[in-house]
Amino acid sequence: MFIMMPPFLYLARDWAHRSPWLCRAFGGAFLVAIAVGCSPTPPASFRLNMVEATKQHLTPQQEQQVSTVLLAMFGTPDEPVVLAETGLDEAKLRLAAGPVRSDIVGRKNGLYREHCAHCHGITGDGLGPTAAFLNPYPRDYRPGIFKFKSTERADKPTHADLQRILHNGIAGTSMPSFALLSNVQIEALIEYLQYLSMRGETELSLMRAFFELDDDAAGKLPETREFLVNETLATVVEKWKGAADAQIPVPQMPADIDMVDSIAKGRALFYGDKANCVKCHGVTGLGDGQANDYDDWNKAIVEIDKELKSGEQRAQEASTAGMSPDELAEYRTQTAWLEKFSHVLDGDALKPRTIPPRNLRQGIYRGGRRPLDLYYRIHAGINGAPMPAAKGTVPPEEIWHIVNYIRSLPYDFDGELGADRPLVAHDRL
Amino acid sequence: MGVLWSLLFLAVPVLGVATFAVAPAFDIWLPKDVSEHGKSIDGLFMFILWLTGAVFVATEGAMFWFLWKYDAAKAKGPATYIHGSHTLEVVWTILPAGILLFLAIYQMNTWADVKMRRPAMAPTVEVMGRQFEWQLRYPGRDGMLGTPDDLFLVNDMHVPVDEDILVQLKSMDVLHSFFLPNLRIKQDAVPGMKIPVWFKATEIGQFDIVCAELCGWGHYKMKGQVTIESRADFDRWLEEMYAKQEATQPEAIVQVE
Repeated sequence: MFIMMPPFLYLARDWAHRSPWLCRAFGGAFLVAIAVGCSPTPPASFRLNMVEATKQHLTPQQEQQVSTVLLAMFGTPDEPVVLAETGLDEAKLRLAAGPVRSDIVGRKNGLYREHCAHCHGITGDGLGPTAAFLNPYPRDYRPGIFKFKSTERADKPTHADLQRILHNGIAGTSMPSFALLSNVQIEALIEYLQYLSMRGETELSLMRAFFELDDDAAGKLPETREFLVNETLATVVEKWKGAADAQIPVPQMPADIDMVDSIAKGRALFYGDKANCVKCHGVTGLGDGQANDYDDWNKAIVEIDKELKSGEQRAQEASTAGMSPDELAEYRTQTAWLEKFSHVLDGDALKPRTIPPRNLRQGIYRGGRRPLDLYYRIHAGINGAPMPAAKGTVPPEEIWHIVNYIRSLPYDFDGELGADRPLVAHDRL
Repeated sequence: MGVLWSLLFLAVPVLGVATFAVAPAFDIWLPKDVSEHGKSIDGLFMFILWLTGAVFVATEGAMFWFLWKYDAAKAKGPATYIHGSHTLEVVWTILPAGILLFLAIYQMNTWADVKMRRPAMAPTVEVMGRQFEWQLRYPGRDGMLGTPDDLFLVNDMHVPVDEDILVQLKSMDVLHSFFLPNLRIKQDAVPGMKIPVWFKATEIGQFDIVCAELCGWGHYKMKGQVTIESRADFDRWLEEMYAKQEATQPEAIVQVE
């Protein structure tokens, strides 16, 4: 029986013999720990955008200043605060923020952490615990770039766009549908997403502002309302407020349109020089054209990575022997920075992936399958992705022809591909 | 001491039976059945419950009785040992075997109704399990899946009442299990297989669709809703959804508060 006893029990037995009071004290503490339960999880905090901070060569003091300013302007993930200038509704934010719990009337709180944070991260940086396993990676809201919307390429999505995405999910990605959440919950999540995005964009512009500081600022941003709110925050908020007015006007598709004719015209445009869809989506429409490009989020990391590699290369080739003390100091700062950056990339960035052009024969449309959605995609392109806008090169009526052609591709059984034709929707019946 | 132990043993069948007796009052009994075949499944369940319940009570009762009767405190003289009873052994072997055989034959018709006698019809809807949602595809006006008029939806399934419904069940990624508790349907969705599932709903209402196979970290969120409605409502809903899917103009913005 004693042989089976784990070592710590021997110890306990020993103690009990030697000093019974000590044993009792430990036992008491143990009981208290059981009664109180495990210590509460530490309060959640936003992560600093370390990739940008390192890229901008911020000093620890400067990083600290950005954190402090952001804390004052946006609060914490548990206690969000918003300035009136953002136009955000703090009551809605509170429903979405904080740990998952029910309030006194049994209403669910902490919706963001229940439904979104495991992929998009507490900070909205797309670095949640499951992010690395997903392809494509979950969206990083901080640059404020959104793909699937009814507004022009550089504009923010409208409220209705975000509702649609939450309601339908994004087919072909890991973003599921939240159609069964109540309207109140969806609204709270949309509000919170805008909050995270505004916070992230503000953070980015604060970090970039150090670069433009005067010499007499001593490397410190002015902590004035004028600079922080009226200049920095207002620029970010303005774009969100302008979204509703930036809707793309859509011409009516002619009711008596001859589909066969329209599809043929769309096909000509697809392969033609004007729209030149074929360049990326491939002659087969399988998305097998040029496929070595990155989206904006990954491209940023790829570029940094390149810079790091060439920096390391130079550092290796450089000989410290003939350097003056100043040059040597400069060299040391540079190598320290390179080393820091590669550490930051390990923890704060995912391995970059190329973005394949969409396979148009699968019938999976990420931004929605309505002809209207495809019209928006072709008209404005996809922000953050290599897909360019046809606006300006293809007249609006002709965009409808491309839409009709694209929509026919998944059902194109006996198309020009003949025996090489890929699996289309019908085969999967 | 013997009295305490025997009463503890007695508490097991008493509390066990009491749990079942009060469960319906606390709404932790079977979910409401709104399917045609559900009655025979529930009937089988109740039959087996009564049968095993009776055996359970008898066994526990016997254990109580032996503890009570042969309490050491009251025992007069030493215990006697017996070698065994051939008759008893035959009885407790043949009786359960007979019961099992009976159950196996008795449930065959229900099994065939639910898993084998598939209605001869085209699928009403295709359900595709995906981490972590139920993707739905309705065949549209031509009644055929895989044609340009298919209707694509997520998580929000509608079916007409009092009609045979044939679901074509698929999975896009991993094992899921398509579970309609109120329709007494539970079927694994297996990647690479098209599995037919059928039922006939008997009541109008909204019920849950859940995933009953641990399919990944978001398994708990893989919830949908099935709306059972009249044929007219169902057709109207299909038309409405199809019109939305084919929209070429943005909807008028409705402010939802």
